[in-house]
Amino acid sequence: MTVRNRGALAAMAAGAAALTLAGVVACGSEPAEDVGGDEVTALASATPTPAPAATGGGSVPVNPGTLPAGSEIVPPVKLSIPPIRVTATVNPVGVNERTDEFEVPPSVDQVGWYRYGPGLETDAGSVVIAGHVDSAEQGKGAFFRLRELRQGDKLTATGSDGRERSYRVVAREEYRKSKIPLERYFARDGKPRLTLITCGGPFDAKTRSYRDNIVITAVPA
Amino acid sequence: MQYAMFRRVAAGGAVAALTFAGVGAATMSPAYAASSKVSVVHGIPDTPVDVYVNGEKTLNNFKPGDVAGPLTLPEGEYDIALTKPGEAIDKAILKVDDAAVPGGANISLAAHLSADGNPQITPFVNDVSKVGAGKARLIVRHTAAAPAVDVRAGGKPVFEDLTNPKEAKADVAAGSVKADVVLAGTDTVAIGPADLNLKEGTATIVYAIGSAEAKNLSVVAQTITGLHSAPGGVPSGTGGQAGTGVDTWWYVLAGAGVLLLVGGGARVAATARAGRR
Repeated sequence: MTVRNRGALAAMAAGAAALTLAGVVACGSEPAEDVGGDEVTALASATPTPAPAATGGGSVPVNPGTLPAGSEIVPPVKLSIPPIRVTATVNPVGVNERTDEFEVPPSVDQVGWYRYGPGLETDAGSVVIAGHVDSAEQGKGAFFRLRELRQGDKLTATGSDGRERSYRVVAREEYRKSKIPLERYFARDGKPRLTLITCGGPFDAKTRSYRDNIVITAVPA
Repeated sequence: MQYAMFRRVAAGGAVAALTFAGVGAATMSPAYAASSKVSVVHGIPDTPVDVYVNGEKTLNNFKPGDVAGPLTLPEGEYDIALTKPGEAIDKAILKVDDAAVPGGANISLAAHLSADGNPQITPFVNDVSKVGAGKARLIVRHTAAAPAVDVRAGGKPVFEDLTNPKEAKADVAAGSVKADVVLAGTDTVAIGPADLNLKEGTATIVYAIGSAEAKNLSVVAQTITGLHSAPGGVPSGTGGQAGTGVDTWWYVLAGAGVLLLVGGGARVAATARAGRR
């Protein structure tokens, strides 16, 4: 075996190693497949209300024109997701005035409940809780492992009334942020459900943002 | 033009029972697509009425301060009459013939006093366009026998110089606000103050009603829900530790691997051939 040949063989070995490593990384980076999309669509389709007048005999409601009172909403205060070992404080949040985006709590170990939507008391619509997957300064967030959830996994949300409510995961979906049908996840009609949102997919180091949103949909268990 | 036909069915003894029965759903369906939602607001103090639509009694003993509806009415023209409860339609205290109801709109018919104190009916088209996330729509309608007013929220005028029968509106941050109505340009409070709970994604319509002279100015409120929008996005990660995409450098590495393999292979083959010679 010549010296030249040995060099060539070493190059081949290095090449093979490089290819294998790149391949392993690529495969490891494959996002988990979406599951339960149909169920989410079914949950979101509004509960049909009988068409007034056309059905005949429906009486028209008469209400006192009093000023609207505050409705009784039960905000979630604690979220517990045993399969991914998450217990997080839930804060009521709104939208960022400047960006019009969901105001995810800056502290990554806490998550935010969309206070304009339904609370845990609701019998219709989507209760939305969003949290950081991670942050550049603070590291891993409460929802770092959210995408590992599977259909059937159980989680618990505790309301400000102290009552625990159990939910069962029915769907895990990943969308490009530019394509996500947010109105479906922020709906106030349809079946009652809990929607958990975080970031995922490829990370753009320049803009320091993820391309996708991971969305978990759970129903009362 | 398809006219709506309504028939009153058993009121069942309920005092304020209003029953709108479609006569033949099939005959209504062609116009159904162009139907409008119509609410009726009673803003004439001390005057309960029966409401007739196209000669049929549709609202029985409708009380001041109440809001009826929404009814779904096909596009068309309607004759509306108000009588004292139980009185015949020919003794109507207020009558509007051929009131146009456009298709696909959300309308409020307000029975109220004019600026000089005469009963009248004013149709308002309600702005039911979506409000931005975190916002609520406030609509104020001057339907009282009173001069021009300003509406203040938290002590600051938000609507100024509003006159009967006009409206003013704005999309504002959702939440609770203390509001009052003052005579335009003054601090003389005409109505309120009252706490207004402006719920996100709704329109709150406040009607100033009554008469300044009779000292019975007050408000009637109507709420329209379902106008919410989703937030613009959910930004929830800046770290990159959970990135699932394959970084460009891995492609470079794979490419280099291929080059090394092919190059090394060619060299080995070449030396093997040279060795055989």
